[in-house]
Amino acid sequence: MERAVVPWDGPEPLSGPIGVPLVDLLDRVLATGVVISGDLVIAIADVPLVRLSLHALLSSVSERVPAPWADGGPL
Amino acid sequence: MTEDIPAPAEAGTEAVYVYAVCRAEEPPDLTGPAGLSCESPLRPLAVGPALTAVVQTVRAADFTDEAWQARLADEPELERYARAHHEVVCAVAARLPTVPLPLATLYHDEQRARAALSRESRRFHAALERTANHSEWGVKVYVTDAPAGQAAGAAPQPPAAGAGAGRAYLDRKRSLRDRRERQRSDALRIADAVDADVSALATASRRLPPHGGRAPEERRTQVLNATYLVAGERAAELARLARNLRERTGAQVELSGPWVPYSFVGEV
Repeated sequence: MERAVVPWDGPEPLSGPIGVPLVDLLDRVLATGVVISGDLVIAIADVPLVRLSLHALLSSVSERVPAPWADGGPL
Repeated sequence: MTEDIPAPAEAGTEAVYVYAVCRAEEPPDLTGPAGLSCESPLRPLAVGPALTAVVQTVRAADFTDEAWQARLADEPELERYARAHHEVVCAVAARLPTVPLPLATLYHDEQRARAALSRESRRFHAALERTANHSEWGVKVYVTDAPAGQAAGAAPQPPAAGAGAGRAYLDRKRSLRDRRERQRSDALRIADAVDADVSALATASRRLPPHGGRAPEERRTQVLNATYLVAGERAAELARLARNLRERTGAQVELSGPWVPYSFVGEV
């Protein structure tokens, strides 16, 4: 999964751990295993501005896990 | 804490973004990361006995449903947000025992944030206890895809004399299917073996959805995407195990970490 990290274009240089692959980071910061795969197939249907529970985050996102096999067969 | 809450110029134009909750008797040092907004600094918000949230005032308009829809479709922008969030979480966790919150945990204002987070204080303490002296480590396993040309070589049965092209075609199809079946069961076996061995060393484990083939030219398939809560003193053992598993299975076993234990704070 070596791929170029998109450079930070914010006003401040990013001093954080930029080497972490984005997919691995999203697996964690999105808490529900959202995976970005080329075209984004994920649609967040309902992201309320105010989240009152730790569990609420993007819980509607990854109901369906894409099969890792190109032909879509079950692993 | 009774600091003055700046009166918003217009109700609803600002929101309070929460990065993490840490165990701190005193307001923690938050110098360093800028967070998601260059307009206001990170600040501590006391949310319970010995618990302090790390928060920032952001523009509410940047965190609406529409804004998130657009952001999820804009990878560089999503990356910017994810990394900025992660940077703050890492900076806090480097100094204090920390429970990271997921990306985009927001409240309308500070009082609401304090009230909501205070209600969870027992869960925060339980999560801190559970993850104390532990880190999260990711383990991904890939198997190399067999080259397509091998399909023909793997079909040693020549078509019976007199059999037509149709029969040969069906044989080829069958052998391809058999080969895929074998690949799949081999991959499953390797994934389970790696998961079992790493789980035995870990305090807790979670399987994450495997990453789909982003780059077909990679010619490899991810068969395991798992993450483990590992005691600090066992990290070296984990690295040795990963090397050992690489040799034993022939698969590519990638280790990432140590992570702030994002994946192990929610299920307490």
